[in-house]
Amino acid sequence: MEAAAIPAAVAHDDHHHGPPIANRSSKVEPEVLGILLFIISELMLFGAFFAAYFFIRVVAKTDWPPHGALPVEVAATNAVILLSSSLTMHWTDVSAKRGNTYAMRVGIVTTFLLGSTFLFIQINEYLSLGFNPTTNASASIFFGLTGLHGAHVVIGLLLLFMSAVRIFKGKVGPDHHKGLEVPGIYWHFVDAMWIIVFTTIYVL
Amino acid sequence: MGEDTRRGPVTGRMWVTLIAIGLVASAIGIALGLSLRWFPAQGSTIAHKIDTFWDVLIIVSVPIFVGVVTMVLFSIWRWRQRPGEELLDGPPIHGNTKLEVVWTTIPTIIIAGLCAYATVLLLDIQNAPAKGTRVINVTGQQFAWTFSTVENGKKIQTNELYVPVGEPINFKVRSLDVIHDFWVPEWRLKVDAVPGITTGYALTPSKVGNYQVVCAELCGLGHAFMRANVHVLPAAKYAAWVQKVTTPVGAAAVGAASNGSASVDTIGKQLFVAGNPSTGTLACGTCHTMKAAGTSSATGPNLDKFVAQDPASAIREMIVNPNKEIATGFAKGVMPVNIGKTLNKQQIDALTAYIYKSVHRR
Amino acid sequence: MAAKLTSPGWYRALLYTVVGIAFTLGMSAGLRAIFNLDPVYSWQSWVTIALLMTPLFFLAGIGCFDYWWRWARGRKVVDDHADHGAHSWRDYFKVNTDHKVIGIQYICVSFFFMFVGGLMAMLVRAELAQPGRQFVDANTYNGLFSIHATLLIFLFVIPVFAGIANYVLPLMIGAPDMAFPRLNALSFWMLPLAGIMMLLSFLAPGGSFAAGWTAYAPLSVHQPMGATFFTVAVQFAGASSIATALNFLVTIITMRAPGMTFFRMPLLVWANFSTSLLVVIATPFIAASQFMVLLDRALGFNFFNPAGGGDVLMYQHVFWFYSHPAVYIMMLPGFGIISEVLATRARKPIFGYRMMAFSLLAIVVLGFTVWAHHMFVSGMQNWIRIPMMITTAIIAIPTGIKIFSWVATLWRGVLKMDTPMLWAVGFITMFTLGGISGVMLAMVPLDIHVSDTYFIVAHIHYVLFGGSMFTIFAGIYFWFPKMTGRMYNERLGKLHFWLTFVFFNLTFAPMHLIGVQGMPRRVYDYAQEFATWNLIISLSSFVLGLSSLIFLYNMIASWRGGTRAVANPWRSLTIEWQVSSPPPIFNFDAIPSVVGGPYEYGVPGAVHAVFKGAEVPSPVPAGAETSPTPATEH
Repeated sequence: MEAAAIPAAVAHDDHHHGPPIANRSSKVEPEVLGILLFIISELMLFGAFFAAYFFIRVVAKTDWPPHGALPVEVAATNAVILLSSSLTMHWTDVSAKRGNTYAMRVGIVTTFLLGSTFLFIQINEYLSLGFNPTTNASASIFFGLTGLHGAHVVIGLLLLFMSAVRIFKGKVGPDHHKGLEVPGIYWHFVDAMWIIVFTTIYVL
Repeated sequence: MGEDTRRGPVTGRMWVTLIAIGLVASAIGIALGLSLRWFPAQGSTIAHKIDTFWDVLIIVSVPIFVGVVTMVLFSIWRWRQRPGEELLDGPPIHGNTKLEVVWTTIPTIIIAGLCAYATVLLLDIQNAPAKGTRVINVTGQQFAWTFSTVENGKKIQTNELYVPVGEPINFKVRSLDVIHDFWVPEWRLKVDAVPGITTGYALTPSKVGNYQVVCAELCGLGHAFMRANVHVLPAAKYAAWVQKVTTPVGAAAVGAASNGSASVDTIGKQLFVAGNPSTGTLACGTCHTMKAAGTSSATGPNLDKFVAQDPASAIREMIVNPNKEIATGFAKGVMPVNIGKTLNKQQIDALTAYIYKSVHRR
Repeated sequence: MAAKLTSPGWYRALLYTVVGIAFTLGMSAGLRAIFNLDPVYSWQSWVTIALLMTPLFFLAGIGCFDYWWRWARGRKVVDDHADHGAHSWRDYFKVNTDHKVIGIQYICVSFFFMFVGGLMAMLVRAELAQPGRQFVDANTYNGLFSIHATLLIFLFVIPVFAGIANYVLPLMIGAPDMAFPRLNALSFWMLPLAGIMMLLSFLAPGGSFAAGWTAYAPLSVHQPMGATFFTVAVQFAGASSIATALNFLVTIITMRAPGMTFFRMPLLVWANFSTSLLVVIATPFIAASQFMVLLDRALGFNFFNPAGGGDVLMYQHVFWFYSHPAVYIMMLPGFGIISEVLATRARKPIFGYRMMAFSLLAIVVLGFTVWAHHMFVSGMQNWIRIPMMITTAIIAIPTGIKIFSWVATLWRGVLKMDTPMLWAVGFITMFTLGGISGVMLAMVPLDIHVSDTYFIVAHIHYVLFGGSMFTIFAGIYFWFPKMTGRMYNERLGKLHFWLTFVFFNLTFAPMHLIGVQGMPRRVYDYAQEFATWNLIISLSSFVLGLSSLIFLYNMIASWRGGTRAVANPWRSLTIEWQVSSPPPIFNFDAIPSVVGGPYEYGVPGAVHAVFKGAEVPSPVPAGAETSPTPATEH
C-alpha cells in the first residue's frame, strides 16, 4: 500500500502553499445554499411525520385529539413567542451587518431567551397534558411532531448559543457575519415550522 | 454525418442481414420463453388470463432485448479498434432528433398498450366474482393460518382450507400479530394479512386438488414453514365435509379417532413429535429439544433444561399462552399462539402430561 | 502519551469511546432512576442510548469536530491545509479533508463491506443449496440475508458512488476541493460506524436483526434487540448520505470552473447532481420511518400498533417514499459512469447529450411518484394501484432513451474493448434485462402473482448487480490509473469481467423462473420441486463470489506494483485527466477555463478545458501563492 501514496515528486511538503481559489459559479453563497438544502431535508423529515399524522388521523381514523382538549391557548402563546424571536433574530442580523455591537448583543440574548421560554412552556405543557405517547397512536403522533419540533428548537438554541459566544468574543461584524446569518436562517425555519405544526396539531 | 471512411457505409444488405438476425433471434427467444413451464397449475378461473398476459409480456420484451444486444454486438464486431487505430476518433455525431423521437415514441406506445391491457385485466380480476359469494375468513398469525366460515348457520374453524370447486369465494384476510401474506400460487392472487385492517380478494377455484397456502411476506423465524393445506373439493365432497365437521360428535372424533384407545402417553408423544396434521398444529419437536422424544432443534428453549423445575400447570400455561413468559435468549412471538386453540382439551392434557413426565424423569 | 490522548486520532477516539460508553450507561441508569423505573439498570435502554450516542464520542475523538469546536468557542481557526493529501497509507486512517483522500477512504471502506456482505450471500446460498436445514438455523439465516442486503445497499452501492464522485467530481468541474471539506470528512467517518454497528448486531442477544432490509413494522418492532442496531445504524448511514449529497450540490452549483455551464458538465456530474437531489429530498423519510420504529420499540409509542390506533401500512408508505428513489440513488451515478466510459472508449460524443441530462432529471421527478408500486399486494386502497402502475411504466421511457443513446454512441465509434468498456457494454445488456423485468413488475396483475417471490430477487439483482455493480466495476477500473497513479492488470480485469458476467447470469436468471413457479423469497427452506434450480444457482453463485477475489488481487497487486500510469491514458477530454495521475495535492495550479463540451471526440482541435500557463498537464501543485479556500472560511 506504500506505493499507493502520492509519488514524492507530487507530494513534496508544501503545507504553506494553499489551493487555488475556486471559481464562484453562482451568486448564492455556498454557506447559504448549504443551509437552505439542509432545511429542505429537514422539511422532508417533518413531511414524513406529517404523513404519519395523515395516515393515523385520516386513513386509520384514530380519535383526535388524543385525550380531552388540547391546550390551544398555551400553544398559541408559544407561537407568538417564537414569532417574536424571529423578529429579534432578524434585528440581530441587521445590527451585525450595520456593525451595531450593542444591538447585536441584546438581540442575540433576547432571541435565545425567547427560544428557551418556548421550550420551558412546551415541557410544562407535556407534563400537564394528561396523556403520554403510549396512550394511543394519536398521542404518539402528537408527541412525535411536537417532540421533533422541540428537538429542532434545541438544535437552534445550540446554534444561537455558538453565535452568541462568537458575538461576545467580537468575532461577528459587518464583514464576517456568516456565523450569525446561517444559524439565523435555521432559526427562522424552526419558527416557521412551529406555525405549521401548531396549525395541524392544535387548530385543525 | 458523412461517410464512414474507416469501414465503409453500412450497406442495405447488411441492414437486411441485421434485421434477419434480429428476427430469428427474437423468434427463438420468444419460442423459448413461451415453451418454459413458468407457472404452476391453473387453479382458478383467472389464472389463464394472467398466464396469457405473461405470454404477451414475453412476446413484447424479447425483441427489445434482442434489438439492443444485436446492435451492441454488431457495433463491436464492425467498429472495434483494430491495431493501428489507437489514435483514431469516431465521427462527431452529437445526436439525431428523428431517431430520438422514434425511440421515445415507440416505447411510449408499447407502455401505453401494456398499461391499458393491465388495467382492463386488473379490473376484470377485481370485479369478476362479486356477488353472492361465500365468505371465508383467513387469519394469519406467527406461524399458522386459521380459516373460518359459516355453513348451515354453523361456524367452522379449521387450520386447513376447504373450498368447493367452481364457486366464487370472498376471502377476508386478517392478521393477529405481524404482516403475513395469503397466497396460493395456483390461484395467482395474493394479498398481505395486515394487523388492524381487513384485506382480501375474491376468486373462483376452478380445479379440484390439493394445494398449499404459502406465506409470502417475511413474518419471522417460521416464515418458510408458514404453510397450510388447501383442499379444493367437488361440490358433493365439500358438502360431505361440511356435514362431518358440523356434527359435534364427528368433530370430536377427528381428534379421538386417530388416537383410538392409545394411552395418554402415546397421544402426548405423538403430538410432540408429529403435531396434529388434521388441524395443522405444528409439532413441538420441530423447535424444541427434549431427550425423551429424541428431538434436538435449538429454535426454541431446550425443554429438558427450561421446564425441568416447573409444575404441570405451568407447562400447560406455556403451551396455551406461549408469550406470557419468555426464556432468556429467545424472542417473543416465535412459538405459535394457536396451539391451545387447535388442540382439544384432552390433547392439551395429554401433551402437558407427556412433557411433564419426560423432563422430570431422572 | 498524554499528547496522543488529547490530539485528534485513534488513541483519543478510543478514549472518548470508552468515556461515551460509560456516559451512556450513567445516562440510562440516571434517567431510569428519575422516572422511578425498576430496575434502574436496563440492558435494553442502555444499548439503545449507547448506540445513539457513542458514535458521536468516537467522531469527536477521531477529530471530526475539532475545527468546529474551536470556531464555535470563538477561537482563532487556521486553515493551514496540514491535513490535506495523503503521504503514506497511515494518512488514510486519519480524518482528512482532501476530497481525493476521502474518495479513496469511501471506496475502500465500502468495498470492505461489499466483501463482508458478499460473504453473507455465499452463506445464504450454501444454506439454500438443498431443501431443509444445512448448517444455520432460521434465525441466523434471516439475519444473514437481512444484513447482506443492508450492507450492500447502505454500506456499499450508495457510498461507493459517493466515493467515486468525491474523487473525480471536483476535478471534473475544476474545483480545488468540495465546498465543505470538513463536512465531507464527517460524512465519511459516520459510514464505517454504521457498518460496524450492523455487523455488531450479530452479537446482540436474540441474534442480529432479521426483518429484512425493509424492516417492515410491526415485525421489526417486535424483533429482539438486534433490530435496534439496524434502526440506529441506518440513521448514521442516512445522515452521511444527506451530508455528502448537500456537499455535492453546493459544490456543483457554486464551484464550477469559469465557462463550465450546466450543459458543458460531464454526465457524471449531471448524474451526481440528480442523485444528490434525490438524497436530500428522500433520505429524511427513511430516517423518520426508523425513528418511528425506534420510538415504538424503546418508548412504547403506538405508530404501528393497531390496538392503539396505529397504522401498519403507514410504515410502508413512508419507507418506500425513500426507498424507491433509493433505487435511483443506486443507479443514476452508475449512468454517469457509463457515459464517461463509453464516450472515451468509443471515441465519440455521447449521443443526445441534452436528452441524457434531461432524462436524468425526468427520472428524479418521476422517482417520487411511484413508491406504492412496492405495495400492490400490501392491502392498501385498490385505487392507488393503477396510477402507480402508469407512473412506474412511464419511467421506462427516460430509461429507454438512455439505453438507446448509449447504443447509438457505440455506432461507428472506434471501440476499445478493454476492461472498463467490457463492464460498460455488459451493463447495457444486463440493465436492459433488469429494466424489462421492472416493466413487467409494474404491471399489477402480474405483480400480484410474482411479488415477494424469487422473481423479485432476480429483478433486484439484475438492476443492482448487473446494473449498479457493473457500473461500479467499470468506474473503478476506469479511474484506477487516476486514483493510484498505476495501471491495473488488463488480462485479470477481462478475466474478472467474463467470469462475473457468465456466472452472474447463471446465478440470477433461473431465479426468474422459480419465482414465477411459486418459490417465495426470504425463505430458509423450500419445496422439493425447486431443489435442482437452487443447487445450480448456489454453485454458480460460489464461482461468482470467487471471481471477485480476482478483482481484489488485481487491485492490490496493481496498486502496489502496477506500471506507472501517465496523466491521460484514455486520451480523455474531461478535466480530471488533464492533471497528473494521481492529481497534485490541490488539484490545480490555477483553475482551468472550460471552452467546450466534455465529449467532443472526433471534432478536429476540440478542447474541453484550457489551463493558464499552457503546459498541460501540470504535474506539480500550486505555486507560491497562499490562498485560503473561500468556501470554507467564515
